[in-house]
Amino acid sequence: MLAEPLDRMFLALADPLRRGMVEHLSSGPATVKQLAAPSGMRLPSAVKHLKVLEVGGIVVSQKVGRTRTFRIKPDALRTIADWARNREAAWNSAFDRLAAAMLEAPEVEIEP
Amino acid sequence: MSLHPIAHTTFVIERELPGSVRHAFRFWSDPVLKERWTGCHAEWTVIEEAFDFRPGGKEIKRWRTPEGQELAFQAFYLDVVPDRRIIYAYEMSFGGVRLSASLVTVELTARDELTQMKVTEQAVFLTGDGAIAERIEGTEEGFDRLAALVAAEASDAA
Repeated sequence: MLAEPLDRMFLALADPLRRGMVEHLSSGPATVKQLAAPSGMRLPSAVKHLKVLEVGGIVVSQKVGRTRTFRIKPDALRTIADWARNREAAWNSAFDRLAAAMLEAPEVEIEP
Repeated sequence: MSLHPIAHTTFVIERELPGSVRHAFRFWSDPVLKERWTGCHAEWTVIEEAFDFRPGGKEIKRWRTPEGQELAFQAFYLDVVPDRRIIYAYEMSFGGVRLSASLVTVELTARDELTQMKVTEQAVFLTGDGAIAERIEGTEEGFDRLAALVAAEASDAA
C-alpha cells in the first residue's frame, strides 16, 4: 500500500542525474533536450531517466507537435517533504520543551 | 528488493531561547538537563545509555518498546566549542534497520540576555526494507507524545 509507490519514488530519486533533472524541472517545464544539456547526457539516455521519473510518479509529460515537454507532477514530492516536516516538527516540539526547561532551571554563575 | 534508496534533505531551525548562551549550552552538554527536553518516551525501557560529550565522544541510547522492538540513537560528537557551537553526527535505527543518518550543527549566539540558536540538520533518510513506513509511524507517535507533554507543561504553567 504505502511502501510500493514510495519505493518507486525513492528509486527514481536515487540517481544524481535524475535529481538534477528534478531540480531543473522545479523551476519550470522543460524539453528532453533542455534537460539533457546541463549534464551533457545523450538524448536516448535522458529519455530513459525521464521514463524512470515518470514511472516513479515524480514528473508528467505532454507531447505537443514533435516536442515532448516534462513538468513536475503536483504533490509528487509531498511524501518526502512530509517526512522531513515530521522531523522538523519533532525538533520544534523538543525546542519548546528546551525553552520551558531553561526557564525552570536557574542560571548557574561560575566562580571566576 | 536489495536496493536501499536514499533521500537527502537539509533543514534549518532558528529559535530564541530564554537565557544566556552558557545556560543554553548546559542543556546540550549536561545529560540530566538534556534529558529534560529530549526524553519523551516514558513507556520505553532504556537498555543502553552512554553520554560522552566531547569531540570524539559518543552518545548512545537504546530502548525497547512495549511491543518488544528495539530503537537506537547513536551520536558522535565532532566539534564542541563551549557556549558557542556543537557539531555531531547521529543515526537512528529501528529493529536493527538504520532509518537515517545526519550531521547536526548547533550554533549559539548571545543576543542581549537571550540566546539565538540555529540548528541545521543535514539528513540522509534510508528507506529500504519497508523502514520508511515504520519511520513515519514512529515519528508520528513520538510527535503525538511530545505534543501532549508540551500541552501538559503549558497548562501547568498557566
